[in-house]
Amino acid sequence: MTDTILFLLVDGLTNGLVYALLALSLVLVFTVTRVVNIAQGEYVMLGALTLADLLQGRMPGTLYLLVGGLALCVLLDAPRWRRDWRRALAFAGGLIVAAVAAVALTRGALALQLPVIGMMAVALVLVAPIGVLIYRFTVHPIPNATTIVFVIISVGVSMIVQGLGLLIWGANPYPVDPIASGGLMMGPVFIPYQSFAILIVALLSMGGLYLFSEFTLMGKALQASAMNRLGAQFCGIPVNMAGGLAFLLAAAFSAISGMLLAPLITANYEMGFMVGLKGFVGAAMGGLVDYPLSLVGVMIVGGLESTSAYLASAYRDVLVFSLLIPILLWRNAKQRVETR
Amino acid sequence: MTKLLEVSGLTVGYGDAVALDTISFDVARGEFVTFIGPNGAGKTTLLNSLMGVLRQKAGAVMFDGEDLADLKPEARVARGIVIVPERRELFPGLSVEDHLRLGAFLRRNEGREKMAAALERIYVLLPKLKERRRQLAGTLSGGEQQMVAVGRALMAEPKLLMLDEPSTGLAPRITEEIFEAIDQLKAHGMTGILVEQNAHLALSVADRGFVLEVGNVVASGGADDLKQDPRVLAAYLGAGDRYRETTTPES
Repeated sequence: MTDTILFLLVDGLTNGLVYALLALSLVLVFTVTRVVNIAQGEYVMLGALTLADLLQGRMPGTLYLLVGGLALCVLLDAPRWRRDWRRALAFAGGLIVAAVAAVALTRGALALQLPVIGMMAVALVLVAPIGVLIYRFTVHPIPNATTIVFVIISVGVSMIVQGLGLLIWGANPYPVDPIASGGLMMGPVFIPYQSFAILIVALLSMGGLYLFSEFTLMGKALQASAMNRLGAQFCGIPVNMAGGLAFLLAAAFSAISGMLLAPLITANYEMGFMVGLKGFVGAAMGGLVDYPLSLVGVMIVGGLESTSAYLASAYRDVLVFSLLIPILLWRNAKQRVETR
Repeated sequence: MTKLLEVSGLTVGYGDAVALDTISFDVARGEFVTFIGPNGAGKTTLLNSLMGVLRQKAGAVMFDGEDLADLKPEARVARGIVIVPERRELFPGLSVEDHLRLGAFLRRNEGREKMAAALERIYVLLPKLKERRRQLAGTLSGGEQQMVAVGRALMAEPKLLMLDEPSTGLAPRITEEIFEAIDQLKAHGMTGILVEQNAHLALSVADRGFVLEVGNVVASGGADDLKQDPRVLAAYLGAGDRYRETTTPES
């Protein structure tokens, strides 16, 4: 009995850590841009499938998205050519260089047959900028739209990216190698090395975000934009810079989450939505604004998921999403106490 | 004297309501002007539109020879227009020193020494900020928060400093400290626009003043002249009954 409980605990913790990266992304994006990003899970899918391609020695389909997106960016910049052609030229040139560099980096990585961790880094470089592109196409033109408009836009983004995923990768699932195979008997429980890898990568990523936020001016600027957008503008911090940075970091974290998760399940074009929603349930605990509470939330989600997978596997997702009801009741009660 | 800011026919509204009706004025380099007037006269609206938070419906705002019409707030900060907003707009979870560093966000590539020197200048001007520099802004008193807002604005090295009701809600002693700092800035040649309800205080600092009522400038002139102006005396400096003119027919 204790063996089972321990096993479920380890499993739950592993799931929780994967969702934690996603929950951090959601909180980061929401606090800085007020976008409730339903599409956040799609970066999980992109991360997982890009890694799958790289590990199997193929040029990842993500490059189509990246290069296409950069090209669209140049097109959208067209009005600037009349006003200030030098800047516009520098901008277009920069994006073309970026596209070429991305292709070259991928070719190099494939030629060198990097180990899994190296390929993860390459996949990260390919997926994270897609967050900025999506920011540019959807939020940048209407930074002061209402939350509900952003929700609907992000649902649209989710559908489009999923559709593009289906177009590029097809409906087949792709296996993804873990960072390290095998595992370790710790007392009565077998813990796969991948769980350790998840723990280490997740902690490093969160630690990295913490250091960035607390010890760099750019990190402080991001925090400032989240706390008071008008105040940040009065400091000369551009709204779009902060928003783009939030989308970039969030895409990176979600992609890492997908690359860690993929070996445990398999990667396919529609994996992101479900994972995204589970990250949401966790982040809801912190009201989409509180990092520590969101982490508690995702750990509960991870634990409940592994327990229900064991006890009533058919109802696993139902149980996880039902968790939203007590979470919202609790938040409501908490808010009433605070406002009293 | 060359003009730093030239505003002509500025009109700003919220929906159909006109909050500022064809306002024209200018500010010379090194000059401090003040806008006084009752609540709702459009003083804050004026500063917000100069800052680019509100769009102008008509008119032109020329700063340093450039038309500001389409510039966003952050671009105006880059040009040297910086505001100390009425509601301070601080970041509650960041420390005092973080605020000051972020105030210099656009000057972030100027190097450590310049940043340290700029911080030091602020700490000399507003010594209380040095004591509190590790404290989170959300835990400061109102007066200290106002000082943070002033310090943050100064870190941008403004060409034009706009102060929106810096005395609101502050104890007289704190107000005095803040106005002493403003006096020092002015002595060092800072150009500024001061918006105040406390007309006496405002006219004692400024070179020139404008009286704003329901979106229109109803009186203007040198600060000392305005202090003697019977209408200003009656309405804003607490002498006489401001309704006398309208209630008793002239004999």
